[in-house]
Amino acid sequence: MTENVMRYDWIGRWTHTFHAIAMLVLIFTGLVIYFRWDIMSMHNARTLHMVSVPVLILTNWFLVPYGIIVQGYAEGGVKGIITHFYNNYIFNSRDAKHLSQAIKNFFGKGEYPKFTIYDKGKGHYITRLHPLFKIFIVLEGISIFLIFLTGIVLYDVNWSIFGLPIAQWITTIFGWFAPFLNLSSLSFIRWVHLALTYFFIFELICHALILQFAPKPFNYWKTIFITGKEDFNNPVVQVIDSSKDEA
Amino acid sequence: MASEKLNVIDNLQNLDVLQMDRRTFMKAVAALGASGFVARYGTSLAKAMEFSKTKVVWLHGAECTGCSISALNAYNPEFADALEKLNISLEYHETILAQQGLFVDGKLVNTSELNGEILLDELANEGGYILVVEGSIPNGPDNTGKACILGGHPFKDIVEKTARKADAIVAIGTCASYGGITTTNCDTKEYCDFQGMSFTETTPGGILKILGIDKPCINIPGCPAHPDWFFLTVAALILGKLDLNNIGAALDQYGRPKPFYPPESTIHDNCPRRGYYDRGILDKEIAQGGCLWKLGCKAPYAHSDCALRKWNNGLSLCMQAGGPCLACVEPTFPNASMPFFEESEKTEILFGANIGHVALFAIGVAVVAAGVHAVRRMKKE
Repeated sequence: MTENVMRYDWIGRWTHTFHAIAMLVLIFTGLVIYFRWDIMSMHNARTLHMVSVPVLILTNWFLVPYGIIVQGYAEGGVKGIITHFYNNYIFNSRDAKHLSQAIKNFFGKGEYPKFTIYDKGKGHYITRLHPLFKIFIVLEGISIFLIFLTGIVLYDVNWSIFGLPIAQWITTIFGWFAPFLNLSSLSFIRWVHLALTYFFIFELICHALILQFAPKPFNYWKTIFITGKEDFNNPVVQVIDSSKDEA
Repeated sequence: MASEKLNVIDNLQNLDVLQMDRRTFMKAVAALGASGFVARYGTSLAKAMEFSKTKVVWLHGAECTGCSISALNAYNPEFADALEKLNISLEYHETILAQQGLFVDGKLVNTSELNGEILLDELANEGGYILVVEGSIPNGPDNTGKACILGGHPFKDIVEKTARKADAIVAIGTCASYGGITTTNCDTKEYCDFQGMSFTETTPGGILKILGIDKPCINIPGCPAHPDWFFLTVAALILGKLDLNNIGAALDQYGRPKPFYPPESTIHDNCPRRGYYDRGILDKEIAQGGCLWKLGCKAPYAHSDCALRKWNNGLSLCMQAGGPCLACVEPTFPNASMPFFEESEKTEILFGANIGHVALFAIGVAVVAAGVHAVRRMKKE
C-alpha cells in the first residue's frame, strides 16, 4: 500500500513556484536582451526582467527564510529552526557519504543512496534534498546575491538609497577584481552578470533534468507544485522511526 | 541629462564668474564648454586676469603628441586665444617651442632665449607654474628611467625636477594620467615600467609616489584629451575655483574632474545611437547605422561627457562617425578595451575560450551527465 507524507507545505510549494517562474523569466529575458533575439521587443524584455527581479528577491530572501523558520519551529522550537536548517540545507558528512554513493552508482558500483530520510517517530523529515542540490543551494544563494549586486549597477550606475551611493560602492569593489580578467570595473560587472546567467542555466539543467529523466517524473512535479505529498515507495526515501530506536 | 544641462545654462545666465562658488563654476564649465564659457564670461575673465599671469610648463614623455595636437586644434577659442584670454604664459612646450637644445662638446651653450634646456632649468629653479605632462613616464629599466632620454637626461628626472617646484600638475591624456597606450600588455611595458603621474593604470601612486613628491595632480585622460577638458580645468585652477588643498573633492576616484568625467553616467547614456540600443537594433557589421555594442563599443563602461560635448567644435564623436567607443578615458585603457571590435563579455578567460564557450561546454556536460544518470536509474528501477 502506498503511504504518503507531506514533503512540502504550502509555503514551500509557493516559494518554489514563484522562484522557478521568476528565474525562468529572468534567464529568458536576460538572454533576449543580451543576444537581442528577435522574439520580443527590447522594451518588453526589459520590463519583464525588471518585474521578475523583486519576485525572485522576495521569494529567495523572505519566503525561503520564512519557510525554514516556520517548519523548524514546528519541529522543535527555536532550537528546531537551527537543526532543521542544518540538516536540510547544509552539506554535512551524511550528504558527503550519499554523494559518494551517487557518484559510485553513476559509474556502475553500488546502490543509489536513499538521500531523503523521514523520521516516523518525530513526524518530520531529517533531510530531504539531494546532496548535490545542497551544494547548489549555497552556490545559488551566492550567485543570486552577486547577480543582484551587478544588476543594480547595470540598471543604474548611479543608484543610491537614503543618500548611500550603493552602485558606486559596488563598482569600486568589483574594480578590485576586474584587472584579473583584464577588464574595467563596469565591463567586469556586466561579465559577471552574464556568467551567472549561464550558471543558472547549468544549475537548472542539473536540477531539473536529473529529476525529469527519472522513471516517474510527474511525481516530482506533482509533489513540488501541487500536492506537496511524497510517496514512501520512492526508492530514494529512507523511513526511520527514532521512537522505536529510543525504546 | 540634456534637459538638465539646458537648465544649468539658464541658471548661469546672469552669474558673475568671479562670484561663483567652486561648485557652480565647475557646473558652468561642464555645461557651457570652452567656447560658451569664454563667450559668456570673457569680460569677467579679462578683468580677473588683468594683473595675473600664469606660467605653464608643458612636458612630453612617452607619447604621440596627440593631446598637444588636440589642444592646438581647439576651435573656439583657438589655442592662442585661450592662452591670451586666460593670460597664460606658455613658457615651455617642446613641440611648439622656438628654442632648441644646444650642446657643444656635451655642454649646454648660449642662453635660455635660444637654448630650451637652459630655459627648462631656469624655469624649474624659479618654480610657481602649472606643470602639464603629456605622455607616460618610464621608470625602467631597473628604476633608472633611461627608457626615455631627453637632452641627455631621463625624462623621469626632468619630471622630478619640474614637479617639485610646480604649484599644480595637470596630466593631459591617458598616457600621462594612467600609462595609457604605453602600458599595453607586452614585454616592453615590463621593461620600461611606464608610469602615469599619480596613477598607473588603476593603481594610485604613479611616478609622483615613486619620486616621493606630494603635489596636487589632476588627470585629464582621453586619447587624445578634449581641448575643453584641458582649458577649462586650467581656467578653474587659475581662477582659484579648484581648491588645491582639497582637490580630491572635485575629482573622481581616478583623479578626473567630475564635471567632464561624470561618475553618475556613462557615454552610452547620451550616445546619439542610444535609441537603436533601446530598440534592440544592434549592428553586426560596420556602417549599418544602429547601436555599435556588438561591434565592441565600450561606451557603456566609459565615463566622460563626449556624447554631450562632442568633438571637432561640437560636430561629432566616435560613435556618430561610425566607430565604437574604445573607453580611452578609462584607466584600464587600452588593455581592457581590447580587442577593440569585440564586446567585453567575449573576453578570453581560459585557453582562448570566453565565458560563452565555457558555459556551452558546462551545459553540454550537464545535459550528457543528466541523461546518463537518468538512463542508469531507469535501468535499475
